[in-house]
Amino acid sequence: MHSRIQFMEELSRLHHDILSMGTRVEENLAKALEALRSGDAALADEARAGDGAVDAMQVTIEDRAAVLIATQQPVAGDLRELVTVFKLTEHLERIGDYASHLAKAAKRLAKEPYPRSISPLVAMAELEISMVRDAVAAFLNRDAELARACAARDDEVDASHKAFLEEALDFVRENPDKAQQGMRLIRASAWLERLGDHVTNVCEAVVFMVEGRHVELNE
Amino acid sequence: MKRERATDPFDLAVETGETSWALETKGMCVDYGAFRAVKDLTMGFEKRQVTAIIGPSGCGKSTALRAFNRMNDLIPGCRTEGQVLFHGADVYAPEVDPVKVRRWIGMVFQKPNPFPKSVRENILWGARINGYSGDEEELVEGSLRQAALWDEVKDKLDKSALALSGGQQQRLCIARAVAVKPEILLMDEPTSALDPISTSRIEDLLEELKARYTIIIVTHNMQQAARVSDRTAFMLLGDLVEYAPTKELFLNPKDGRTENYISGRFG
Ligand SMILES: Nc1ncnc2c1ncn2[C@@H]1O[C@H](COP(=O)(O)OP(=O)(O)OP(=O)(O)O)[C@@H](O)[C@H]1O
Ligand SMILES: [Mg+2]
Repeated sequence: MHSRIQFMEELSRLHHDILSMGTRVEENLAKALEALRSGDAALADEARAGDGAVDAMQVTIEDRAAVLIATQQPVAGDLRELVTVFKLTEHLERIGDYASHLAKAAKRLAKEPYPRSISPLVAMAELEISMVRDAVAAFLNRDAELARACAARDDEVDASHKAFLEEALDFVRENPDKAQQGMRLIRASAWLERLGDHVTNVCEAVVFMVEGRHVELNE
Repeated sequence: MKRERATDPFDLAVETGETSWALETKGMCVDYGAFRAVKDLTMGFEKRQVTAIIGPSGCGKSTALRAFNRMNDLIPGCRTEGQVLFHGADVYAPEVDPVKVRRWIGMVFQKPNPFPKSVRENILWGARINGYSGDEEELVEGSLRQAALWDEVKDKLDKSALALSGGQQQRLCIARAVAVKPEILLMDEPTSALDPISTSRIEDLLEELKARYTIIIVTHNMQQAARVSDRTAFMLLGDLVEYAPTKELFLNPKDGRTENYISGRFG
């Protein structure tokens, strides 16, 4: 049995830190996207540098959650929430890594501008920024409906990825000498697609936390 | 050895009655005078499993537990309605001798309560009352081994049981309870008077005992219920609120009152 008041205080500190981590990941992703769109190398560096902070936040949050489990021995909804914290931070950290990869790719691409449109890539990244925000909000507000709606948007991400893939393959076929550039873009698109899967996993974890059952949201 | 066919109807039921539950209550109510302490309890206890009963102080856990083996008969003004079925026989049927009930459904109390006699006598007492005629040394050793106490007391069998530590005394009480070869062991907060090491020994012991006995344990320690039991029942104000596999009840309780209680949200 644990002291309810102390537990609630600790939990609200944890929420605060998770919000900071989510916001930071979102920011890095937005910077990476802007770097991709504008070719701004300084912004790309900022996005990459920001990833260290995200990793540090993950460690802090997980340590704090582990101490809460050890000292308060939560059960039922409290326990599901703390288990979800670990999943959430793990996925947020991975999402941060993809943002960092994307920033790195943006720098390379800036040196050799792509003659065609990267708008499907941009659309994907924009959508994902809002998805990351909603997934974290769904966790903080224990909102399973928001989590489901958020995961449903991953279909759009997948569609954009497919569309861009066609486009980029076509580019490579027509410009075999630019195959490396094409590959780089295809990789970036694939990262963004994977990133969406991590958001979906967060959403599934939130549904488990709220409803106590495991669901698959990425059909 | 061929045994004589039982003549007592309760003995006969125990010998021949096949049921899916080790113990089952149907609409069991327990009153102290005009006060109803347990209301309409209908539940089954699984064979060779540990079932924990949890709930706030005064919710009727001990009263329910004592009703299972007619221990409440000893309390003036206490009355039980409904049925408690053991091998299909109602332990409250008029012709049933409560001593027989307690022979099959044993009890271990919160405070270790060995008799002020030797370790050996503590084990043999109940067995003798029940007409045990086998090898006494064998029974003493076997019972103490089952209670994980043999190694600690094998050289002190003729010393007073009161000279043992609290944790040892409690295991002696368990040994005494299993000496009559019951089917069910009722335990009312059996570790609340013990230190963490003795507590953990008893908890380990439960895991071994359940190979032979059905165990029903009342505990205030929620972590203990979660650790040792297969199923958990949550009671509130004399009602059974929720009864489910322990893993389910502690991870995903269905009733908000259960969730509030196990999460420490009171009032
Ligand atoms: N001998 C008795 N006479 C009258 N009322 C009693 C008697 N024993 C218990 N009660 C009442 O019956 C209710 C249930 O008591 P019981 O001892 O079964 O609760 P419990 O759940 O075991 O509580 P605890 O966790 O404190 O041991 C309580 O309101 C108690 O006051
Ligand atoms: Mg009690």
